[in-house]
Amino acid sequence: MTTTADLPATTTTSSRPRRAPLTRLLRSELRMVLRRPRTLIGLGLLGLVPVVIGIGIAIATSSSDGQPIGEGIAALVAGNGLLLPIFALVVALNMLLPLTGAMLAADALAGEASHGTLRGLLMAPVGRARLLAVKAFGVATVSLIAVTLMAVTGIITGTALLGGDGMLTSSGTSLSFVDGLGRVGLTVLLVTIQIWALAAIALAVSAYTEHPLIVVVVALGLVIVSGVLSVIPALDWLQPALITTSWESVADVIQDPLSWDPLVNGVLRAACYLVIGYSIALARTLTRDG
Amino acid sequence: MTGFSEQRAVAASAATAPPAARTRGLRKVYRGTVAVDNVDLEVPMGSVLGMLGPNGSGKTTTIRMLLGLVTPTAGEVELLGHKMPDGAALALPDVGALVEGPGFHPFLSGRENLMRFAAAEPLLATSAITTAVGEAIERVGLTKAANRRYRGYSLGMKQRLGLASALLVPRRFVVLDEPTNGLDPAGTREVRTVIADLHAAGTTVLVSSHLLAEVEATCTHVAVLNQGNVVAQGELAALLEAGSANLLVSTPETTLGLDALRERRIPARPVPDGLLVDLTASTAPAVVEVLVRAGVPVHEVRRQRTGLEDLFARLTEDSAVTELPDLDTLIPEEAR
Repeated sequence: MTTTADLPATTTTSSRPRRAPLTRLLRSELRMVLRRPRTLIGLGLLGLVPVVIGIGIAIATSSSDGQPIGEGIAALVAGNGLLLPIFALVVALNMLLPLTGAMLAADALAGEASHGTLRGLLMAPVGRARLLAVKAFGVATVSLIAVTLMAVTGIITGTALLGGDGMLTSSGTSLSFVDGLGRVGLTVLLVTIQIWALAAIALAVSAYTEHPLIVVVVALGLVIVSGVLSVIPALDWLQPALITTSWESVADVIQDPLSWDPLVNGVLRAACYLVIGYSIALARTLTRDG
Repeated sequence: MTGFSEQRAVAASAATAPPAARTRGLRKVYRGTVAVDNVDLEVPMGSVLGMLGPNGSGKTTTIRMLLGLVTPTAGEVELLGHKMPDGAALALPDVGALVEGPGFHPFLSGRENLMRFAAAEPLLATSAITTAVGEAIERVGLTKAANRRYRGYSLGMKQRLGLASALLVPRRFVVLDEPTNGLDPAGTREVRTVIADLHAAGTTVLVSSHLLAEVEATCTHVAVLNQGNVVAQGELAALLEAGSANLLVSTPETTLGLDALRERRIPARPVPDGLLVDLTASTAPAVVEVLVRAGVPVHEVRRQRTGLEDLFARLTEDSAVTELPDLDTLIPEEAR
């Protein structure tokens, strides 16, 4: 046994912080999140959403003899299979995907704290800033997986049930199948970034509590309150600050040509929420009692 | 209590080494409640220190500050020579701990839970993780249940898994907060064996407990906390010695013996099967001489160890307790 720790720099191992490899931590985190039953159930249900919507539209179009089945993007989807994943993602962005992001963020810090497992990681030790980075990585990756999964089941269901060899845009033009896939990819990216933004806020709340439920309630409360505020005309000046403002513009990806301004604005707004959320989460994680 | 600081020859080498952990003026206030106040604790390198104290005496809070989980309101903490909590990255890899009960994910098996913590251990090479986890599981006797979900574990199995996670890597310092909570007698014995093995391997161990027998059986040093303060600390033997001033005499002739002793102004009182004699004003040979001369048949004379229970009761009672051991205290159980 060596007792040299008191003397500065006697050995290189005692004066330099030793850390577990970051990739090993990330892999371990991801494995754990993807083993959690509610993550798997949530992913499975999200993957079913485009399938259910696709089946619904297929039934509706086959029985209504070509009459319009709705308005806006939903009406376009009939016979336009590649629009199904985009439609499903835009629908899910209103509630299901924010719920997923909030749930992941809630389990990441508050859930681990309530199980006493956060303490174990801190004592390993995983540095506090590193711990937050690992947690953020887990939330971000699984959010991306959820959105991608919806896009994939949407593409498959859309092409199989609704057909179409390209994509009919809301501007009336047609895109090739490959270009259409590009639009789906762009949607995945935009939706994921918006979920990351909400998850960042949720993670900040998660750093403050041991009760995962509080995190989910606060995050969904934020979404609902933002939605309500955005429809009050007297509060128009508030629009640029609301997280839900960007969500409405995601549907613009099916315009041709693309109008980038609202999309870029949405990403910038999400970036602001990301910075704010992670700053608060970091400040709290560094001082939190374990 | 002055006699505690004396070091025996065997401990002399350990005394020169820096302590495994040291706190100075440690204080923690939670929303106006003082949990720990002015704690100067020292855990000598290589010792097994038992931390005793009633519920709410600040044991766990002190441990959490030692490990850098909680930032002290005031005071300093040094762990393996590194200031905490800033030196956590330097000190904690060599420290294994079971604090506030085991914490694991219910949906993972015991083995998977350990794999996860092993992945976070800085001192474990990636290739060594599986072996280390397997050995830790075997060491705490969980091999049969290792692949079952943690959700279905009994309290004792959970506690064993917690112990296993503290022992994933060879440590220089192991902190066990109430390690035998929920364990059956066999499990308790196994924990003692683990502690003894760690001690033999030169690892410093800090055990907090409210089970006095457990501490008495396993520890070399003791620190007693009461209401957020350290009321006594030192070597177990020295602490017990300082409070021990009784002689237990087995005799059927208690009345005769009492009379003889009282004549010589030696305080004594009858107990089942004999007499309990206060040695503060006398010595054992003198007492025996008095009794024998008075014709009292003496079957057995035994210097009574004060037992940790007495000591603990004295130290943690409120006010005016630091006097000489009074003869009204309970007789400790037979010496083990």
